[in-house]
Amino acid sequence: MSATDLLNLLIAALLLAGVYAVMSVGMTIIYGVMKIVNLAHAGFLMLGAYFVYELYTHLRIDPLLGVFLGFPVFFFIGMAVHRILVRRIPISDQPTLTSLLLLFGLWLVLQNLGYLVWGNSDRAILTRRTLDVLQIGPIGLPTVRLVVFAVALAALAGLEFVLHKTWFGRAVRALMQNNDAGRIVGVNVDRTARVAFGVGIAFAGAAGGLLAMLYSFSPDFGGAFLLRAFVIIVLGGLESFAGVAIGSLILALVETFAILALPANYQPAIAFSLLVVALVVLPGGVAGLWNRRRRLA
Amino acid sequence: MANCAKSNLKKWHSLSASPFFLLILTLVLPGCGKGNKASENEIVVGVVLPITGREAKPGQFQREGIELAIHQINQDGGIFIHELDKKLPVKEVFYDDGSDQAKSAGLVERAMTSDKVVAVLGGYSTALGEAESVMPDRYQTPWITTGAAASTIFSRGYQYIFGTLSPTDLLGYTTAEFLGSLVDQGKLKKGLKLALALENTDHGVDYGKGIDKWIEQHPGYFAVGFSEKFDLGSTDFSGLLQKVKNARADIFLADAHLQDYITMQRQYVQTAMYHQMISYGARGPESDARKALGDATNYIFAGIWWSVKLPYPQVKKFAADYQAFVGRPPDSWYPATAYDAMRALATAIEQAGSLNKTAIRDHLRTVELKDSLLPGQVLRFGPNGQIHTPFVIVQNKPEDKVDIIYPPDAATGEAIAPKPR
Amino acid sequence: MKFVRNSGVFGFALLVAILVALPWFGPSPNAVRLLFVTFVWVTVSIAWNILGGFGGQVSFGFAVFYGLGAYAAALAVNSGLPTVPALLLAAGVALVASLVIGLPTFRLRGPYFAIATIGVSEAVRVVMTNVSLTGGASGYRILETGPFRQLDHFYISLALAVLAVAASVQVRRSRFGLALIAIREDEDAASDLGVNPFRAKLLAHALAAALTGAAGGVYAQYAGFIHPQGVFAFSIGVAILLMPIIGGVGTIWGPVIGGVVYGLIHDELVASFPQLHLLIYGSLLILIVLFEPAGLVGLLDRSFGILVGSRRIRAANPQT
Repeated sequence: MSATDLLNLLIAALLLAGVYAVMSVGMTIIYGVMKIVNLAHAGFLMLGAYFVYELYTHLRIDPLLGVFLGFPVFFFIGMAVHRILVRRIPISDQPTLTSLLLLFGLWLVLQNLGYLVWGNSDRAILTRRTLDVLQIGPIGLPTVRLVVFAVALAALAGLEFVLHKTWFGRAVRALMQNNDAGRIVGVNVDRTARVAFGVGIAFAGAAGGLLAMLYSFSPDFGGAFLLRAFVIIVLGGLESFAGVAIGSLILALVETFAILALPANYQPAIAFSLLVVALVVLPGGVAGLWNRRRRLA
Repeated sequence: MANCAKSNLKKWHSLSASPFFLLILTLVLPGCGKGNKASENEIVVGVVLPITGREAKPGQFQREGIELAIHQINQDGGIFIHELDKKLPVKEVFYDDGSDQAKSAGLVERAMTSDKVVAVLGGYSTALGEAESVMPDRYQTPWITTGAAASTIFSRGYQYIFGTLSPTDLLGYTTAEFLGSLVDQGKLKKGLKLALALENTDHGVDYGKGIDKWIEQHPGYFAVGFSEKFDLGSTDFSGLLQKVKNARADIFLADAHLQDYITMQRQYVQTAMYHQMISYGARGPESDARKALGDATNYIFAGIWWSVKLPYPQVKKFAADYQAFVGRPPDSWYPATAYDAMRALATAIEQAGSLNKTAIRDHLRTVELKDSLLPGQVLRFGPNGQIHTPFVIVQNKPEDKVDIIYPPDAATGEAIAPKPR
Repeated sequence: MKFVRNSGVFGFALLVAILVALPWFGPSPNAVRLLFVTFVWVTVSIAWNILGGFGGQVSFGFAVFYGLGAYAAALAVNSGLPTVPALLLAAGVALVASLVIGLPTFRLRGPYFAIATIGVSEAVRVVMTNVSLTGGASGYRILETGPFRQLDHFYISLALAVLAVAASVQVRRSRFGLALIAIREDEDAASDLGVNPFRAKLLAHALAAALTGAAGGVYAQYAGFIHPQGVFAFSIGVAILLMPIIGGVGTIWGPVIGGVVYGLIHDELVASFPQLHLLIYGSLLILIVLFEPAGLVGLLDRSFGILVGSRRIRAANPQT
C-alpha cells in the first residue's frame, strides 16, 4: 500500500471521526448534565434524517439548510419530551435504570411512528454535492464528509465556548459535577436540565440530517450509531467535549485500520468489543486517564 | 424500581396471579382451539411475507404479485375443482412476519394448522425461507417460496417444498458466464483478475460459490485475486475498498443488500476507483438505488431473476395488469416470481381436481407453466422442488435506461464493456 | 400467612395439572404451539428476573445465553444426544458463558453494566455469524430424527417453565434471594453487612443463564432451524427484558404474567396488527416506568386491594 493510499485512508478515518463526533454530541450533553442514557437518541437521529429528507423532497430545500432549520425544531421537541416524560423521573448523580428504560420505550414508539408515517423503504438524499470529491493533489476529500466534519468541529467548538464562557455553560458544568451542589449555589436545576435536554435532542436531530446526506435510512435507522455513540462517550470520558472528539477519533481510526488486518466481516465486532473493553478497563475514559496522570504528576 | 412496600404485597400475588392465568387460558384457548373449519366454499391459501422490517419492500411487492394473480383467478370465477364439480374462489390469509425468522415459522405453522390452508406461499429471503421450510413436511402442506433462493433449503430431502426462485449460485455462475462471453466477443481480455466483496449471508456465500464453479470449469478466463465477506449495514467501507484497491483487480463483483450497495457505491465513486466491470450481484437497476446514486449507477450490471424488459408478450401484459392493479410499474423481479408461484399453484390445484394437500403437492411436482413470465418462459419445478430458470443480466445505461444484455436471445441492448472511465 | 402462601401453591399446582391434562381436551396444533412459545418465554422471563428483578442488574444481553443454548442443543441433537442431555448441555454452555461475561462486567454499576451487556450481545452475534462450524450466517439446521411430535415439545417446555418457577420461588425465599434484594436496594450497604455482591451477582447470572440456555435449546428443537440474526438478535434480548418489567419486575408472578402476555398476546398482535407492536410495547414500557413500576402485578394488586379494601394495602401503596 503506497504512502498516498495510507494518507487517503487516514483522511477517510478522520472524516469518519467527524461523522461519529457529530452523532454523539447530543447524547453526551444529555448524559453529562442529567446522567441519563438517552436510548431514544437513535429515534431522533432517524427523525432528523426524515425531516431533512422531507424538506428536500417537497420544498427543494438544500439538506445542509435543512439541518440548520432542524436544530430549533428539535430543540423544542426535546424540551417538550423533557417536560412530558423525562421530568417525571428523579434524576441523580448516578445514571438510573429508570431513565434508561423510559427512553428505550420512547425509542420503540418513535420507530413505530416512523413506520406508520413513512413506511419501511430505504430512502436516500441525492444532491449534486453527494458524490463530489475535492481533489487536493493525490488526496481525495468527499465533499459531504468534509461538510459533516466541519459542522462537527463547529459544534464542538461552539459547545466548548458555551460551556466555559457563558453563565448557562457554568450552570451546566455545575450540574455535571453535582446536582445538589448546583442547586445550593443557585442553579435552576429544572430549567437548566430542560434546556440541556432540548439542546441534546437538537443535536440529535441535526446529526440525523447530516447523516441523511451520507447514508440511506429507514425507520430503524440509528441503532448502529447508538452503539457507537456509547463507545465514544465511554472512550472519551466526560470531562469536556474534547472527550467526544478523542473518542470519535479512536473509534474511527481503529475501525478503519483494523479492517486491513482483520477480515471485513468482523468489523462490527470492533466497536462492540471496544465498548466492553473501555467500560471495564477505562471507566473514566481516555480523558479520565489523562486527568489522573495530571493529578498524580 | 421496587420498594420495600412490595414485600407486603407479595402474598397477594399468589392469590391474584393464579386466577389471572386461568382467566387468560379460558379466554384464549377456546379461541385457538376451534380454528377455522376447512370451508367447502373457497380455497384458502396462506401467504406469509414481511411487509414490515428489513425486507419489507420486496415483501410488499411479492404480496402484490400474489394478490394480482388471485384477483385474476377470482375474476374468472375461481379454480375449477373436479371433485366438487364447481369453481371455487381463492381466499388469501395474509400474515406479516416482520422480517423475523421465529415469527415467520410460527405464522406458517399457524396458517397450516389453524387456518386450514391448502398451501402456503411465502418466505422472502433465505433466512425466513429456511425457518419456514421446516413446517411443510411437518404438517404435510405444500409450501412455495417466492423469495428464497438458497439451494441448501432444497437439499434436505423435504417433500412438500417448492421454490420459484432460481438458486443464487446459478446467479454467480451466470455472472461469470456472462463475463466469459464478453471475453469471447473480444470486449474483455483473457486472464483478468476479479475482486469479490460478498455480504456475509448465505446469499453472498452462494454467489461466490457460483462464480468459483464457473471459473474452475473454464480455466484461463479469470482468476479471483481477492475475496472477502462484509457484514450488513456498515457505516463505512473505506477499509474494505482500500483492500479492494490494493488487490489491483480488473473487475469488481460485490453482493450486497440495497443499503450497503448505496453506501459502498457512493464511497467507491468518491475514492475514484475504476474497474472494467462492476456488479453488485442482484442489485443494480432498482429505482431506489437510482434515486440514491444517480449517475453512479451507470454501467453497473446485475444478474436478476426477472426483468420487466423481457421481450415476451406475457410480460408486457403482466406489467400492464400490475400497473392497473397497484398503480405503479413492477419494481425489480419481486412481483413476478410471486405471481407465477400463485399461478403454478392454481394450475396444480386444478389438475389435482381436489383440495387434498398431498394431491396438490403431487401435481406441483409435474405442473408446467408454458407462459411463465420467467426467463425461458417455462416454469417447472425441479426434482428437489426448486426451479432452475436462467438469469438475465441487465446493465444500467445513462439517463435511467436499463438494458438486458444477456442471454443474447432476450437481449434488448448491447453490453458496454469495459466501462467508460 | 401460611394459608395464603399454601393457597398460592395450590392454585399454581392446579394450573399445572390443567396444562398437563390439556392434550386430552383436543386443542388445535396452533393452540399447542402458542402454549409452547408461552412456556419458553415464561422461562426466560423468570430467569432474567432472578438477576434483574431480584438482583437489580439490568442486562440487555440475555440473547447470548438463549442463542448459545439453542446452538449447543442443536449441535448436541445432531450428534445423537437425546433431548434431556442436550438441554443440560445447553444450560451448561450458557452457564459458562455467563461466568466469562460476568467476571469483567459485574464490576460495572447500573446503566454501565446494561450498556456493556448490549456490547457483548452484539459482539457474540457478529462472531457467531462468522463461525463456519455452525453454518455461520446461513444458519444451522437440526436433523429431524423421526416424525414431529408436537406434544413432546409441549411437555418439555412446560416442565422447564415449572422448574423455572420453582427455582424462582426457592431463590426468593432463601438467604441468597435476600442477599440479591439487598444488593439491588443498596450494593454498598449490602456489602457492609457481609454480603459478597460480586459472588452473588455471578451466581444469579449463572442460574439465569442456565435457565435461558435451556429455553433456547427447547426452542431450537421445536423450530428445527436457527440462525445468528434470529436467536442472537438484539430484539430477543429486549423482549426478554420487557416481559418481566411489563409483568412486574422483582416479583415471582410478574415475569410469569409478562411471559404469558408476551407469548399469547404478541402472537395475536403480530398476526392482526403487525404495524403497531413496537408502539404498544414502547408505550407500555413508558407507562410502567412512569406510573406503575410494579408492572401488571402492581396494577392487579392495586385493583385487588381496592376490591378487598384493606387498609394495609393502601398504606403499603402510598400512590393510591
